[in-house]
Amino acid sequence: MTDLPLYNSIKQQLRACRSKEETFKALVALSKRLTRLTAEEKTEENRVKGCESAVWLIIDNKDDTSSIKADSDTKLMRGVLVAILSLVQGKTKTERQKMDLKAELESLNLGSYLTQSRANGILAIIEKIKK
Amino acid sequence: MAFDPHSLRQDFPILSQQAYDHPLVYLDNAATTQKPLSVLDAIQDYYRSFNANVHRGAHYLSDKATTRFEQARDTVADFINAPEQSHIIWSKGTTEAINMVAYGLEHLLEKGDEILITSLEHHANLVPWQQLAFRTGARLRVLPLTSEGEWEDEYASYFTDRTRIFAATQVSNAIGVHTPLQAMLTQAKQHNAFTLVDGAQAVAHYPIDVQALDCDFYVFSGHKMYGPTGIGVLYGKAHALEVLIPYQTGGEMVQHVTYQSTQFNTLPYRLEAGTPHIEGAIGLAAACKFLTQQDRHALLAWEQSLAHHVYTRLHKESQVAIYSPETHTTLVSLSVPNIHTLDLNAYLDSQGIAVRAGSHCAHPLMAQLGVAGTLRASFACYNTLEEADRFCDVLLEAIDLLTDE
Ligand SMILES: Cc1ncc(COP(=O)(O)O)c(C=O)c1O
Repeated sequence: MTDLPLYNSIKQQLRACRSKEETFKALVALSKRLTRLTAEEKTEENRVKGCESAVWLIIDNKDDTSSIKADSDTKLMRGVLVAILSLVQGKTKTERQKMDLKAELESLNLGSYLTQSRANGILAIIEKIKK
Repeated sequence: MAFDPHSLRQDFPILSQQAYDHPLVYLDNAATTQKPLSVLDAIQDYYRSFNANVHRGAHYLSDKATTRFEQARDTVADFINAPEQSHIIWSKGTTEAINMVAYGLEHLLEKGDEILITSLEHHANLVPWQQLAFRTGARLRVLPLTSEGEWEDEYASYFTDRTRIFAATQVSNAIGVHTPLQAMLTQAKQHNAFTLVDGAQAVAHYPIDVQALDCDFYVFSGHKMYGPTGIGVLYGKAHALEVLIPYQTGGEMVQHVTYQSTQFNTLPYRLEAGTPHIEGAIGLAAACKFLTQQDRHALLAWEQSLAHHVYTRLHKESQVAIYSPETHTTLVSLSVPNIHTLDLNAYLDSQGIAVRAGSHCAHPLMAQLGVAGTLRASFACYNTLEEADRFCDVLLEAIDLLTDE
């Protein structure tokens, strides 16, 4: 997963967006950086409940630094997932649990892409990442 | 086209605003319409001038409120050509009206009886019947209408002597097609089934005559026909309303109460427990008046021409799949293979265009069409040709942006 962009550059990019349209385009561009899951990995068990779009999350806690993989059926959510993964990738479980993921994501200026039902979905993703 | 929506738009000030620095284009009318000034004024006027509880007859304001509340019932009765105002029962909306019937008829159902619905139903006209079937041991059956909505002779076999209830939508909210209502109602009546028509998607567009339809129940929501939210109507024939067991009980619906028993009030009050949604009824009556003051045929022709325009433009695009009929509909439901409708919706929204993406509360129908969801642009009388074109332009832009090279 070395091909994920650096979180700080993602943050800069998203915070520079001046309109909903720009954020949309930035998320679509980010979505292309995600390594997609295989059909076999998209199991009901890996599915995050509560998202408007389908989201799957696989956390492999075997090593010291666990690997996290994720996917969604919408491009916009895949863009958001790239941001989340770049933030938590390479961190240990304890490190992840110490992070304020919610505050961090709120600082990305995602506006309505984070609100309402999508936000509930993102909260569900955050909870699963912290487990 | 003689009809000009621009002058009508002045009645809808909400439409002249910007959404994310773009002119708002509201094409989510099948979900809920905007409200004209006359409806807003009627609601304001009630609270400013004659707010009081109804049916108490105790004082000046209450008399006034009661009169206007009952006049609203008359207006709605006229609007759908009900024979008498006592056939109009207020509900929260279509969903509650259907539930009132599903609970009210429960005592007449036996194990092995059949409840027949169609494959084009909104969950509101499916889940209450399915649950009723679970409670009574009745069997829920589904008439497999095609997305063209035409009557096929083999459908007749779905109506049997065990069919006790037949419930169908007049117009599909998900794809905009009309069901073959008359043919179905004729069959249902031959088998003495109770008939219910879900008019939620019809009332804003088509003049309704419940006596000509000759169904036992007709239900609709105010908010989809330029009226307020939280108010809807259960129309029923006298004998059909009489057999309904009240779904809720309490004040207002009673004549005499002792600790041992209760004597229920007469219709329509018997089915209206508690203080009603007075402002809603008054607002809905104003919406009926708004519509009857228009040339309704011109409005319908205009709405259909907008949907047809969008159909014609997008039909040419090989990547767009359209699920709505080419004509005689006021909405266009579509999908683009390999692009999620939520992504399309997000881009349209970023350009100020409000449409609806998803399954439209019709999961079984989506499965029948073989899609997870569709994108639906639905028109109302105040939409313009420029808006229809803007929807097409921005949708094509979205497709470009979201197509992987
Ligand atoms: C055909 C149909 N039936 C029922 C309903 C439910 O209406 P309400 O939510 O107002 O009760 C809708 C609303 O979308 C509808 O389109």
